[in-house]
Amino acid sequence: MALTITCPICGKRNGYEFRFGGEEKGPRPEENGLTPEAWCDYVHLNKCVAGVQEEWWFHKDGCGLWFTIQRDTTTNLEAETVSMSKLATENEEAEK
Amino acid sequence: MFSKKKPMWGKKTPLKSSYDVVLIGGGLHSLATAYYLAKEHGITDIAIIEKNYIGFGGAGRNTAIVRANQRTQYNVPLYKEALDLWPVLTKDLDYNLMFNNCGNLNLMHSEAAMKAARMTIATAQFHGVESHLIDAKEAKELVPALNISDDITFPIHGAMFHPPGGVVRHDAVVWGLARAAAEMGVQIHQQTEALDIGTRNGKVTSVTTSRGTINTKQVLISAGGYSAALIYDMLGIKLPISVLTIQAMVTQPLKPVLDHVVSSGAYHCYANQTLKGEIATGAHMDPWPNYTTLNTAHYIKHQAEALSEFLPCLRGVRFMRIWGGLADMTPDMAPIMDGDEQVEGFYMDCGWGYFGFKSCSAVGKYMAEFMATKKCPDILKPFALKRYEEHKLMGETAALVNYSPDN
Repeated sequence: MALTITCPICGKRNGYEFRFGGEEKGPRPEENGLTPEAWCDYVHLNKCVAGVQEEWWFHKDGCGLWFTIQRDTTTNLEAETVSMSKLATENEEAEK
Repeated sequence: MFSKKKPMWGKKTPLKSSYDVVLIGGGLHSLATAYYLAKEHGITDIAIIEKNYIGFGGAGRNTAIVRANQRTQYNVPLYKEALDLWPVLTKDLDYNLMFNNCGNLNLMHSEAAMKAARMTIATAQFHGVESHLIDAKEAKELVPALNISDDITFPIHGAMFHPPGGVVRHDAVVWGLARAAAEMGVQIHQQTEALDIGTRNGKVTSVTTSRGTINTKQVLISAGGYSAALIYDMLGIKLPISVLTIQAMVTQPLKPVLDHVVSSGAYHCYANQTLKGEIATGAHMDPWPNYTTLNTAHYIKHQAEALSEFLPCLRGVRFMRIWGGLADMTPDMAPIMDGDEQVEGFYMDCGWGYFGFKSCSAVGKYMAEFMATKKCPDILKPFALKRYEEHKLMGETAALVNYSPDN
């Protein structure tokens, strides 16, 4: 079950420093016109992918950042990491 | 397993192009469902589709503990029936399931836990399940090896004693059910992977496997920890499930020292002594969802620390084997049994977490009734998937469970 996670700020760290925060499900649904189905979907329902999934992590014993990674649930290996600074640069470039 | 010798559950049969019922997963829930479909409802044209071999998953990896002292009024009758069925099945299957009703001792480590135990015991007694609250001294009389002193991390305040529980030889249940089902005509297809479920106009029409397509109108997915991924992959139905690896291990064989199943929530540890003399013990689940079933030094250390505190006579004893299996956990610690709802002819039996073994006998019986009559038996109704949308979560735990390192 060994797992290392690449925190965008602290870099590659032991997985036990982090708290799992669930599958990435997109933004919280709007309160207006919210149906029990949509709320249930957001709160409870998972895809339980046996393979690579995007998921949230919290660096609880570190910098306190919430971020997402891509991880293969059958091997516990990170599939791809996008650093926050690289994202920020890309966003800035996109805005220009 | 795959040798030339004919297995107890019949010769390897070619996969037919159609079956009345297809069961995906060759674990105990599928085997029990097939057994009861054939025995009580006369439906024998059944294929069990198993990717590996029967009993590969949770059926052969659990710590074999059975009990009926759960928390809610919905769960207790189901587990009570499952517990009562072990002696019946031993006779009906003509197979020694080695049911040893040595009793379960669930240790409590705080006054709050004692209060929760009182409530659980009241529920059990109301449903006719024997369960008592005992103090630390009485627990020590039952299990002299217990450390009831105050100088451990979680001192023992008392225990919930459930005499009718115990252990059952899990492999024997797999083999006994497989043999009995096969004798009645059920075909067990091992080394056959289910790849897709075909539907037309909201009805199940076929199951595609690695050995060809089967036409069928009824399909059940009861593939233990793999169910949620299969159900999403094949039908796009999302479930409130998190799949986590859970580890267990056994020590070297010892002389008889423990004649009850002992468990502790605070220590995240349960232990019993097998007939071989090994202490079989299990731990908590991994802190993040995964399908690895890998073992870790983390939990070996955890088990050693926990056992050497409340059963100090085990200090210095060596662990001999360790293994992992999958637990498909739901937020309310209760399973999902549903059918003919999302897709006509599609049934599911999953979300059992680490309770799949102790429930398999009764669940097989009722899932068979559900599939044969197409009417959900009353006892299964509270377990429908819709309860999450209706905010009718079951009270198996006092608070909603969020799977994180904090629990």
